Amino acid sequence: MSTLAAEFRNAYIHGSGPALATVFTPIATTNSPHRLSSFYDFTNAQYLTQDLASSLFHGKGLKVSKAEQTAWVNVFAAYWEAVGEVLKFEDGHSEASAAAIFKAWKKMAMALNKGYTDAGFPAWTLPCMYTVGKFLRTFAIKADNEAASQSSTTFGVLDDVAADVEKNAYLEDGARIINRMFTLCLTDRAPIEDSRKWGIYNITSLLFKTYFKINSVGLTKNLLRAINAQSHELPPLESFPKSHIVTFEYYIGVIHFLDENYTEAEKHLSTAWRMCHRQAIKNRELILMYLIPCHLVTTHTLPSKQLLASFPQLELFFRPLSNCIRKGDLVGFDAAMAAGEEEFVKRRIYLPLERGRDIALRNLFRKVFIAGGFEEPKEGQPPVRRSRIPVVEFAAALRIGTHATGRTRIDIDEVECLLSNLIYKGLMKGYIARERGFVVLSKNNAAFPGTGV
Amino acid sequence: MSSSIPPWRATASAPSTAGAFTTATPAYIPVQARRSLNHHNKSNPSTLNGAYQPAMSTTDTAQTRVEFSPAIRTYVQRCFAPENQIASVSTAEMQEKLREVITNAAKNDRLNAIDWERLQLPQIIIQNERNKILANPSVSSWAMSGQPASPGDASRKRKSTEHQQTEPDSPPWRKTNNRNRFEDRVTYPTTEKKSRMALDASSKSKANLEMRKKRFEGAGATYGNSATSSPQPEVDQGPVVGRCEKLEKNYFRLTSAPNPDTVRPLSVLKMTLDLLKKKWKKEGNYGYICDQFKSLRQDLTVQHIRDEFTVSVYEIHARIALEKGDLGEYNQCQTQLRVLYSQQLGGHPTEFKAYRILYFIYTRNWTAMNDALADVTAEDKKDPAVKHALNVRSALALGNYHRFFMLYLDTPNMGAYLMDMFVDRERLSALAAICRAYKPDVTIRFITEELGFESDEQTARFVIDHSSAELLEEKSGTVRLLTGKAGGLFEQAKAEAHRVVDIKGQI
Amino acid sequence: MSNSTPQGKANASEQPQQQQKPQVLEEDDEFEDFPVEDWDQEEAEQSATNEGNDHLWEESWDDDDAAEDFSKQLKEELKKVEASA
Repeated sequence: MSTLAAEFRNAYIHGSGPALATVFTPIATTNSPHRLSSFYDFTNAQYLTQDLASSLFHGKGLKVSKAEQTAWVNVFAAYWEAVGEVLKFEDGHSEASAAAIFKAWKKMAMALNKGYTDAGFPAWTLPCMYTVGKFLRTFAIKADNEAASQSSTTFGVLDDVAADVEKNAYLEDGARIINRMFTLCLTDRAPIEDSRKWGIYNITSLLFKTYFKINSVGLTKNLLRAINAQSHELPPLESFPKSHIVTFEYYIGVIHFLDENYTEAEKHLSTAWRMCHRQAIKNRELILMYLIPCHLVTTHTLPSKQLLASFPQLELFFRPLSNCIRKGDLVGFDAAMAAGEEEFVKRRIYLPLERGRDIALRNLFRKVFIAGGFEEPKEGQPPVRRSRIPVVEFAAALRIGTHATGRTRIDIDEVECLLSNLIYKGLMKGYIARERGFVVLSKNNAAFPGTGV
Repeated sequence: MSSSIPPWRATASAPSTAGAFTTATPAYIPVQARRSLNHHNKSNPSTLNGAYQPAMSTTDTAQTRVEFSPAIRTYVQRCFAPENQIASVSTAEMQEKLREVITNAAKNDRLNAIDWERLQLPQIIIQNERNKILANPSVSSWAMSGQPASPGDASRKRKSTEHQQTEPDSPPWRKTNNRNRFEDRVTYPTTEKKSRMALDASSKSKANLEMRKKRFEGAGATYGNSATSSPQPEVDQGPVVGRCEKLEKNYFRLTSAPNPDTVRPLSVLKMTLDLLKKKWKKEGNYGYICDQFKSLRQDLTVQHIRDEFTVSVYEIHARIALEKGDLGEYNQCQTQLRVLYSQQLGGHPTEFKAYRILYFIYTRNWTAMNDALADVTAEDKKDPAVKHALNVRSALALGNYHRFFMLYLDTPNMGAYLMDMFVDRERLSALAAICRAYKPDVTIRFITEELGFESDEQTARFVIDHSSAELLEEKSGTVRLLTGKAGGLFEQAKAEAHRVVDIKGQI
Repeated sequence: MSNSTPQGKANASEQPQQQQKPQVLEEDDEFEDFPVEDWDQEEAEQSATNEGNDHLWEESWDDDDAAEDFSKQLKEELKKVEASA
């Protein structure tokens, strides 16, 4: 009997979803390098269903309804085909293709979904659904890459020459199946203790990932709407496993982030950050990749040295920017943005990071304020900073901040514009008295709110 | 209580946190060679015959004098094995499909070439065909790909023009002279009509066989051929060669394959473009021009013409749409141009990359903006128009209205048409900031200069339109804007103006 | 596929396609499956032993660098501005 069949029986007898998911993981492991090939070789197309039926369900200890048995045999039969394609691919067979793997795997995913709708697969098997969905996505991406490397451009639509749609054809196809899984989880009417609703966040995250990949972030909104409409029937988010919560919160955070809704994004990303397993370095790094720009925009704070120290990539991205912001070095800031531009744009953090320039500018002008010293001391009064500052002093600071050369003319109107912006954004408190040519700043340590002066 | 844990953890014996993702560690159990599995030898010759007879009765195989190999017999046996039956596929359907499979194999001399052991059972083939349709409702458009339609297929209802279309391209197995000896000798006991249908259907199943052949036999066929099985419907019909000589043509959305009689070839389309350019200059009838350009684009598409001329058609249409403020149409052209430029077909990519950036400023689509930025190469940045658009973007991102309006007054190409779409919006943003920052007032002259107005009158009118005349006051010969009294007026007007931009043709 | 003009075709096939539309997030930006499904808060980023976010974020300004220097620099620069204005 095949090892996989034994694993299946074992998982089923114990009702262990994770163990069942392992059965449907189409990867040979170091411990068991032949698990796939031995499964594939244990039967052939001719005897497939018979062999499966007998090895999966004959014998003691397993009580499964006839319908469910048939459904599992169908899933395994499709799995067997898919494994055949995987093995062929790994062998470098001339007929092997990622597309063939995807197609076979898709059949399997459909057989599995059918098991849930028609044959009453129990909810404890959900990890298996996730695993099958996850690999469906993986294989679809591979198939799309393969197609992209092979095909020339095709003409998709009738009215216009260029269609951009075919590039993710396999993944879009896969997304439909995963979306089906989403519905299967969300709309399950079984009592909550045996409900597929427990799979909802995991599958949703998988679908998010998939929509991100096909550049259809907009579709994630539909999922959220559907979940919200059902929320009263879902178990509270806290009662889900942390891996589900963290992944879900991360994606919700990123979705808000892409909408430039940084306050909301920060909330979800912070939750993800706090709950994330400490050893999941890659995931922690990803959370911070978005959380750091959020913090910059919403609270004007920068990542600490300790925080960046454990993440070399983040250190590279954010350290130079942070230093320039802190010093009020506009030229350095612009250079760091330009140097990182490609990566920042790729990761979609360019636009929020760009806003850091305002903070750098604030810091530069703040130095002007501090350099201005104090008013003539009055008897018995604590010293008060000079609060009327000529606009030309800010202009001079800008020349320093932008490393202006001797000849560069400073446009006072532009200096005023920058000042007016900082005031408008609440980074500076006071007003511009244009005719008199100076800025009147707030006294009582409120000129640059939150910075102690 | 039980509702607070997921069901896969509910059972006591299930590992609580042992992950679904811990690597699989199945113990290796040696497997018997497949052919020695006992129960496979239980087959009973009588079942074999019994199964075999109904399957073959319609084709009357006895008269074909073809000897079926044991492999085929076993295959047939499997078809009828009770455990292989699928509820949704009737025995009759299965038999019909089985007959097709064998007839086709025989017809093509492939009876011995097929790996019967691995060949899908007819019921599975049927089910897969159905699944394909279920999974992809639009699959009926496959009928347009020039493949023969099976009986009952939706495509039969299509207009005859389509069949004309596909005729020259019809696959080899449809051509009458392609039938081989075996088929000629097969006597179909059914009516003529029935046999024709069978022929059609079997051609299709031959295509299936071909695919499987490639999959399992390593015959060296190239993978590219199996493109017909890609998950998306094949809308691609192969290029049409037009033969319409008329220069002008109204636009109709295509609902079926294009008729070459109404499609203009490239030589004609080039004259069409010249005509349209002249007409636009002379008459400026946008409705007419837009319609004509759409039909021009369509003719290019159906003929798969994708070259420098195509680019110029889209560019000209885009510019005209810009000029008329038809951003929906402009955006369609822009989307196409982006793909065309990526193929290096010439044209004016930097001019349009600049428009694209300005366009996304207007629509405030930051995701798309990010894409547009990603499209800009270091080389592009040297181009004045691209540089200008990038500067406009960053000036706005940082709230630098001073710089923004300087750039506005110095916009290359047709970018001003786009900037005009959002310049008032940005004036309101700037006024909101100015009113917050300046006390107690500023001269109207300052606003005029700073916000790119043409005259103080225009400025005053703008202020009155968006806030209140109370904010203007004449003091010793100059009109002043009482910034200190503006309160939230411009803030409101700004919020109003920044509501979601609604453009036809945009989601 | 096919282009009506030979030059067009040559162009299309010779020039490698570049500037593929960037994905929303790249492959290496992908959130990974956790090796375990659940864990105690003790093992999480913020636990009793790893308390608070205080050390994570820093203020975005600093007063460390010599204010004196800047003051001097500013005066120098001011002369230039006043000269050019």
